[in-house]
Amino acid sequence: MASPLYDPDPPYDPGPAPPGGSVVTEAPEHARLLRAAAVGDHTAWDGLVERFSPAMWASARAYGLSAADADDAVQGAWLRLLESLHSIRDPRGVGRWLVTTTRREALRLLRERRGEHLTGEESPPDRQQPDAAALVLDTERADLLWRAVASLSEPCRTLLSLLATAPGTGMQQIATRLGMPRGSVGPTRARCLRRLRTLVEEETLP
Amino acid sequence: MIDDEALIAALSLAAGRDPVPAGVPAAARHAYTRRTPGAVTAGRVGVPAASGIRSGGGPRLLRFAAAGLAVDVEITVTDGLVDLAGQVTPVPAPGAHVEIRTLHLGQTRALSETGHFAATGLPPGWFSIVCHRPSGPPIATSWARIRP
Repeated sequence: MASPLYDPDPPYDPGPAPPGGSVVTEAPEHARLLRAAAVGDHTAWDGLVERFSPAMWASARAYGLSAADADDAVQGAWLRLLESLHSIRDPRGVGRWLVTTTRREALRLLRERRGEHLTGEESPPDRQQPDAAALVLDTERADLLWRAVASLSEPCRTLLSLLATAPGTGMQQIATRLGMPRGSVGPTRARCLRRLRTLVEEETLP
Repeated sequence: MIDDEALIAALSLAAGRDPVPAGVPAAARHAYTRRTPGAVTAGRVGVPAASGIRSGGGPRLLRFAAAGLAVDVEITVTDGLVDLAGQVTPVPAPGAHVEIRTLHLGQTRALSETGHFAATGLPPGWFSIVCHRPSGPPIATSWARIRP
């Protein structure tokens, strides 16, 4: 396997932890930063930006957005936070709020790209899919996630590695790499992600 | 529930092959300068279908409302730049003005007697309009993304 994208064994080196750290142990600090930012502390705001930008970027890109569109989605989430500084119901969960809002902006942008124009209000992000945002922010769980990928059989291992390490890889390229018809990539992708989700949700990780 | 996008995002974040470009957090840090202390946020509200749906190359209408005030904005994109024409209703007391903001610039416009304002040739991206009144807190519209 000479591919620079996928090395089957070992597939993943976690390296140093991203600045997000553990969302559980650092929650009081996140709440402190949010409260300080709400009363004019630019440095506190920068602290939030430093901690959560990587997770927000990865969340937007996971929808298949280009770099420019992902940038828009992430900025949109920060601007929503700016207008909501005093109304976040759970300041300790500001990271989940930011990731969830980024995901919502990404989805909205995708719909706009498809020509759908949304009007009217939407529900606040803190009610939407907290588990999904928590997974992205939990850097300690990421290691288990990759071990779950490694425990899957082919073509899931290669396909999930491609999805995660080469954003923007087209269906045709994936089909070529996996040696399958292009029309099979979508269903295979769905099946592999379903298997991974089952492992994650049941916590029967290897 | 954990969806496909969350799984891919978590794997991708851990793999570190698609790091966030430096310009993204830089813009986010700068966004804080758009904070308007004490402002009331006017959220997006629905507009009548006839004007709310963008048809062909016609303008797009957004409506924001808060504290008994509505801000209607008609958006036209010409040659990649954004023209805004708006109206504040009911017309605020004399002396009110609006500030048209993007992430990087702000333009101030006096309101006409009928509450109208306009700005042309703005770069596309995120927009918000703040209505400053002689009495009462400023009203800031929720940020809206405008791209060709």
